[in-house]
Amino acid sequence: MEQHNRFWRIALLSLPLAVFGLFVVWPLFSSFYYSFTNWNGFDPDYSFVGFDNFAKIATDRLFLQAAINTTIWMVAAIVLPTALGLMLALLLDSRVTGARVFKSIFYLPICLSAVIVGQIWTWIYQPDWGLLNTIIAQVSGEKFKYAWLAKPDSALWSVIVAWSWQQTGLSMVIYLAGLTAIPGDLLEVCEIEGASPWQRFRRVVLPLLAPSTVVVIALSVINSLKGFDILYIMTGGGPFNSSDTLAMHMYNESFKKYLMGYGSAISVVLFLIALAIIGLYFRQLRKVDRIYG
Amino acid sequence: MAQLQLSDLRKSFGTVQVIKGLNLDIADGEFVVFVGPSGCGKSTTLRMIAGLEDATAGVIALDGRDVTRTRPADRSIAMVFQSYALFPHMTVADNIGFGLQLRKEDRATITKRVAEVAETLQLTPLLARYPRELSGGQRQRVAIGRAIIRNPKVFLFDEPLSNLDAALRVQMRLEIARLHQRLGATMVYVTHDQVEAMTLADRIVVFNDGRIEQVGTPMDLYEHPANRFVAGFIGAPAMNFLPVRVTGGRLEVPGTEPTPVPPGKEAATELGVRPEHLAVLASSTADLVGEVELIERLGAETYAYVRVPGLPSDLTIRLPGETEIRPRSSIGLKIDWTRAKWFDASGKVL
Repeated sequence: MEQHNRFWRIALLSLPLAVFGLFVVWPLFSSFYYSFTNWNGFDPDYSFVGFDNFAKIATDRLFLQAAINTTIWMVAAIVLPTALGLMLALLLDSRVTGARVFKSIFYLPICLSAVIVGQIWTWIYQPDWGLLNTIIAQVSGEKFKYAWLAKPDSALWSVIVAWSWQQTGLSMVIYLAGLTAIPGDLLEVCEIEGASPWQRFRRVVLPLLAPSTVVVIALSVINSLKGFDILYIMTGGGPFNSSDTLAMHMYNESFKKYLMGYGSAISVVLFLIALAIIGLYFRQLRKVDRIYG
Repeated sequence: MAQLQLSDLRKSFGTVQVIKGLNLDIADGEFVVFVGPSGCGKSTTLRMIAGLEDATAGVIALDGRDVTRTRPADRSIAMVFQSYALFPHMTVADNIGFGLQLRKEDRATITKRVAEVAETLQLTPLLARYPRELSGGQRQRVAIGRAIIRNPKVFLFDEPLSNLDAALRVQMRLEIARLHQRLGATMVYVTHDQVEAMTLADRIVVFNDGRIEQVGTPMDLYEHPANRFVAGFIGAPAMNFLPVRVTGGRLEVPGTEPTPVPPGKEAATELGVRPEHLAVLASSTADLVGEVELIERLGAETYAYVRVPGLPSDLTIRLPGETEIRPRSSIGLKIDWTRAKWFDASGKVL
């Protein structure tokens, strides 16, 4: 019986493990390998260059720009949807008329693919007939032709707004679930002890939402690290690399400049950054675990 | 010092009236227990006193001051919940000091007051722990600590011991009784456990279907129930009820010889006899004869369940711990007529 079970366990696990190995583990180690070479992506001949690629990263001005942009992108892509999602959840959790309709509306964008969201917002930002400029022109009564996605000052932030618009619904839904999980008698204790609405939020509701926040932030980190497609659609990293992120930079170096070795080195750095973030996250998770079990 | 007064208190949820006009005076320092079956309105009444539910009509007065529309925080009450309602993200010290922290007392005062309260409740070694690292009894003590730190005029307890196991319940019951003795505060305590009610209360308020059935001291309710509901609810095991019929001046109890009706009991339809008021006798001189169905031994005492032909349900009798009576044996029962209760068709005691 035990033997039989073991056979099936291994048999059933082997397929997903094979897929995981082929598409995750193998490319991961390949990247490590190629990061020490000068491979161009198709030529069978290449040579080892040691740490040259990593040395190049240290002096690459565009890498620095991309790293700064990635930091801005990640912080904003985590903070904005989380904060907005929490605000919407708190608003819609109280008995607002039509709360259910609003919940559905705010959740809807998450069902769209990033490519479609990117396209919709590209139209909204369109300088001549886009929705945003049309509204600004209507309100101000003057012609308004600002090219949001074509100016280095606004390109990255314009994409961040589009991204937040899509992601907020997800945070909102998770926070709404978290709010229903707060026991009613804890809020009644606040009433009896005389907590102001702000004290109740700050000292009771927000800490009790910590398990939801852990999930929201985890998803935001994962989604923002993967947030390549929407940038690719809306700006392609431009103008003048102003919305270039590390993922975008890696893509450009590997597949546009055919510097697969250098691109791999960038991906290794990106991997190590992700690993560090996940490590921090797990430490925080253990703390939350101690309190909430 | 706090007197609590409920005058014609009513509560409706939509069209359903759940509290149907309560009048009750609770004296300063009194320990009053609300008992009744589930859904009788005892918890709703407590929550109205706390201010967590709005009263639909009527007045709640604390020391003569109308607090019916006052915010819970301004009523000078503290409440202990069945679920303990501790904040999972705060340590024991922060849970106890929560109210003081909200009122922005200075840190030294809070630490001092928390230490005092922890000392009286034997919580001092646990102050740095989180609630989930505590046992049920310890959690409830923390909840009580949070209540007493504010020196409230009235303590409200909503089934505080229901989540504890039997042994701990007895221990906590004693602690609450001691707490009441020491603080001398007015306490209102809701329970469906009539042992808790009997042991803790200065006065018991028996609720049924949104009304007060009877108010009195524990022994008063036990000895002189006003009606069948109170008679059946107070006392464990419960009172035995025997259907009776009065025809032509004679009283018939199924399984007994007809006897003359005692004066004033002409309207009786039911007879109530407590398990300890049934004595076991030889069949020849007994009022009732039946067969023992089941024996429950509790050590100090034994309950016997006796099937009497003609009676709709078994009779419960209370016997000493050591008893010769065995299941399936036939026994005679003598009713202590002086302690028996007579009920009319509406359930009122005659």
